[in-house]
Amino acid sequence: MTMSYRSRATWDRGGRRLGRGMIAVPAILLVVLIFGPLVYSIVLSLYKWQITDINSGKPFVGLDNYVRLFTDPQVLNAVLNTIEYVVGSVGIELVLGFIIASALFEMTKGRKLANSLILLPMIIAPVITALIWRYMLDPQFGLVSQVLALFGVKGGVPFFGSSQFALPSLMLVDIWQWTPFVVLILHAGMLGISEEQFEAARIDGAGRWRILRSIVIPGIAPQILLVLLFRTMDTYRIFDTVFVLTRGGPGTSTETIGLYTYQTGFSFFNLGYAMTLSVFILVTVAIISGFYLRLLRRREVFQ
Amino acid sequence: MTAIPQPKRKRARRDAWVIACYVVIAIFLVWVLVPVITVAVNSFKVPSAIFTSTPQLSFTPTLENYAKVFGELNFAQYLVNSVLVAFGSTALSLIFGVPFAYALARLPIRGREWWARIILFSRMVPAVALVVPMFVLFNQLHLTGTYWALILAHTTFNLPIVIWMMRSFFEELPPELEEAALVDGAGRFGAFWRVAVPLASPGMAATAVLCIIFSWNEFLFALVLSNQDTETVPVGVSSFIGSVSIDWGGSSAAAIVAIIPIFILGFAAQRFLVRGLTFGGVKG
Repeated sequence: MTMSYRSRATWDRGGRRLGRGMIAVPAILLVVLIFGPLVYSIVLSLYKWQITDINSGKPFVGLDNYVRLFTDPQVLNAVLNTIEYVVGSVGIELVLGFIIASALFEMTKGRKLANSLILLPMIIAPVITALIWRYMLDPQFGLVSQVLALFGVKGGVPFFGSSQFALPSLMLVDIWQWTPFVVLILHAGMLGISEEQFEAARIDGAGRWRILRSIVIPGIAPQILLVLLFRTMDTYRIFDTVFVLTRGGPGTSTETIGLYTYQTGFSFFNLGYAMTLSVFILVTVAIISGFYLRLLRRREVFQ
Repeated sequence: MTAIPQPKRKRARRDAWVIACYVVIAIFLVWVLVPVITVAVNSFKVPSAIFTSTPQLSFTPTLENYAKVFGELNFAQYLVNSVLVAFGSTALSLIFGVPFAYALARLPIRGREWWARIILFSRMVPAVALVVPMFVLFNQLHLTGTYWALILAHTTFNLPIVIWMMRSFFEELPPELEEAALVDGAGRFGAFWRVAVPLASPGMAATAVLCIIFSWNEFLFALVLSNQDTETVPVGVSSFIGSVSIDWGGSSAAAIVAIIPIFILGFAAQRFLVRGLTFGGVKG
């Protein structure tokens, strides 16, 4: 539709001039707000800038910060924690989301109501979600602990207080908040599969599992990729719930790369190194999202 | 005629399957709703009713916690700040984003693909990678602690969303109407301003609601770039959790106050929520 529109006499000079004007101002805003800080962080990552050291100034140190980045055991620890968090949360969300989306797909009555209730967690601020789960998982007075006590787990599990449970507990919070997102997207994908395909499969005598494997899963492949893209990017940048619930503790057991960057800048006031960590996050994000976007473009999403 | 029993058995199996599906959904809804309901119930309890070894279902509801939230915790200030930042950032994003989206959708511009990719990339840039350089830059400009700092910071994620969402809404409009306006001598800008924008206004409303939700919920920028006078709701709530002895009733009430406007907006825009969250990847 747009093609025929463009090909008509509308390739006029006025349209081109207006187009340039409409693009220019927002583009400047984008450059100033997003690309400006990015370039700035790349430049400042080459300086030693410890603002608690008033006397030392801001000397140029070349790639020193990057050498530190690749030899810093805390970076390694934070990256490993982040990967564990990303893989664990996204994996469980995908499996759980698929099961629930399939169940939703079979429903005939009440689907709309279920849909609207399901989306509640994902519009709540992560900080509020953290507060909700701080109370649910309280070792003494939390509902989960009280229910566990009924099953004989007495004394209370220190969910956020032990290095063994803290990261899985944070993953649980993520799973609560974002499985609904996976459900809604996969469900939308299932609704997009044509009825004839199911009909044809049924006539051929395909069983439920066969239909699932040969029609549903290939049919929602673009949605699965989409879920993986957004959930991977959003779990990778995890900050809010970790900051509120554990501050990276106990020890460094829940320190993620986002939290480490924040602490380097605003707790240890090492701005030069914090910029280096920002650049690291940016580069890894570009690589991961570039990989997914290429796959998605092949399936004609985000053209 | 005599072959009926077999399909019957099949149908019974099918019914069992459907019932299982309803059970799965019911369990999931319980899991989704119980935490929110628990906090809502706690917000009406006095401390002695919260700190019990077994969950208490019967209690005398009190509004004490809510009085405290607006009294000594001064939550109204956080709400005002959040509203100002959310509306400011949404307005700014719409003013700049809508024309950009229209140009991408309809006007003969160079490098369309290139622009689309830049916008997509800016959605992927995480706040943690921006917040450190932005803090330094805003400090030098003496913006830190002002509403402008937060409004501009929130525009980094709202502007790409507006551009991408509105582009898809403009593309869905039938081009004939704008062409008719052109024939009537409206000019390209007139076709945009008097025809396309009013037609896309439902989409614009949905986009605005999404921006408000994202801004309302944002934490990291608000934490770093605000001062005592400009702290938003999430920063206020986080300060309750951080303290050693948490006021369960008070913070629960604060959480409920923060959630209610978002639930109302979320339901209003629910048809577009997934579209916004997936950057138009799912039209829904």
